[in-house]
Amino acid sequence: MLEYRAYEEIERYLNGQMTAEEKAGFEALVRTDARLAEQVREHRELLATMKGLGERQQLRQKLHLIHEEMEREQLPATPNGWRVFWNRHKQTIAVAASVSLLSVFGTLWSVQEMKEPVQQQTARYVELRREVERLKKAQTAIINGINDAAKPAPRPAAFSGTGFAISPEGYVVTSSHVVEGADSIMIENKAGLKYKVSEIYRDEIHDLSILKVADENFETFGKLPYAFKGAECDLGERVFTLGYPREDIVFGEGSLSSASGFEGDTTAYQISIPLNPGNSGGPLLDDKGNLVGVISGKQAGQEGAAFAIKSAYLLQIIDELSLTAQVNALTIPKNNTLSTQARPQQLKKLRDFVFVVKVYN
Amino acid sequence: MKKSLYETDEAVIEGIRRSDERALAHLYKLYFPVISHFILSNSGTDDEAKDIYQEGVIVFYEKIRDNSLELTCQIKTYLYSVCRRLWLKRLAEKGRYATRLDESEGFVPVEEDTQRHEEQEKQFGVMGEALEQLGEPCRSLLEDYYIRMQNMQDITDKFGYTNTDTAKNQKYKCLQRLKKIFFATYKPEV
Repeated sequence: MLEYRAYEEIERYLNGQMTAEEKAGFEALVRTDARLAEQVREHRELLATMKGLGERQQLRQKLHLIHEEMEREQLPATPNGWRVFWNRHKQTIAVAASVSLLSVFGTLWSVQEMKEPVQQQTARYVELRREVERLKKAQTAIINGINDAAKPAPRPAAFSGTGFAISPEGYVVTSSHVVEGADSIMIENKAGLKYKVSEIYRDEIHDLSILKVADENFETFGKLPYAFKGAECDLGERVFTLGYPREDIVFGEGSLSSASGFEGDTTAYQISIPLNPGNSGGPLLDDKGNLVGVISGKQAGQEGAAFAIKSAYLLQIIDELSLTAQVNALTIPKNNTLSTQARPQQLKKLRDFVFVVKVYN
Repeated sequence: MKKSLYETDEAVIEGIRRSDERALAHLYKLYFPVISHFILSNSGTDDEAKDIYQEGVIVFYEKIRDNSLELTCQIKTYLYSVCRRLWLKRLAEKGRYATRLDESEGFVPVEEDTQRHEEQEKQFGVMGEALEQLGEPCRSLLEDYYIRMQNMQDITDKFGYTNTDTAKNQKYKCLQRLKKIFFATYKPEV
């Protein structure tokens, strides 16, 4: 019971319920009684801790409520994850958006910028095409090698074409563009016979040149197996040629596809024989072995459109040649010995009269 | 809640001193995002952020109430420093040492404050356990009297004692038991 009394006193003291007198007495007692002092200290600490705990718990409760309130406030402010997402990534999104916008408009702008030159290019291209068309209008001369004979070539260069005998006396015809600007001309046939020839007549309009063997010891080619056809050939007639587009003789066959040549040129035929540079000046013969024309050229950029000068004009030139006093009259072959023969036999006979024309300058 | 009322740190502190709950609520809501961001970006969870932040606010609040805080920086910086300290400690307890903290704010040294707080927490923890061990009705009796400050008459009525003396006697016994339990476990480290 003594302890209970002491406890009452301590409590009253701590609560400040003592009168000043009592308090002074109690404090004096505490100073002298170590046990009591210890009890007071413990009691004070116990109560303080308990009180502190209570306050702390209250505060915690308060903060908890505040936190809940805050979350409630935030919830309507962030109705969905998009707001959070936006807040968190708006910088990134802004950067991405501006980059994409920049690239889109940059691309549009640069395309616009580049359109200018492209338009210019198309304009030039149209011109170029026109030029190409103009180029197309010129016949492509079928000559091997560099064909610009008008210019004086600094170095000797060899061209070649094809030619064929028109009379046994050593007269040979070829395209005049083959022998244009030539210093010296040699002809050679499949059998290996070589002759030096000189140009004795030229018809630029019809692109034909007459060559004559310049060898004094020359006698004759022998009887020509083909005859010249003066009349026009019919459309669709089968025709063939022999020529030297390369070092060996090459046979080409096709049909007469038009009675007029390039751009309605009535002095020529259009034929559907595959031709190559070197074929120029070759003979064009019909199925029976009649000479109907002289190969002259083809249309650039077009397949199967080759041209041959009609034989009538060749005959005309030969007549003109005969009129000039310089040469003896040509013995124009009148008889066609090939008409009944099969093509290989025809060719065998023909090939000795078809020459490769080699031009040196 | 009027925001303009607590625009400055001084106003907030003044509000807390006046036991204005709105000041506390304002303070709490104002700086939670900063601390939350810090905890979350240093391998913490939402719950941990809330926990640490509340501890920090308690440290601040109690120091203001004690008038023992000499604030040399912004409230924000102080709270951040305390929470940072507490979080580092928590990480260490979890066995995870943050090699590099993702700092978003400057901080001031607050070791003393946090240490004192931890000591208190420990003490309160022991007290809480002691009260727990005490059992009913002792616990409620003591809590009602010492924490909730109810007068002896109310307590006598509530617990159905015949008179206040019986209640007082009961309270005395309870307190003696609590004292025993509390001081058996709690040894101040100082």
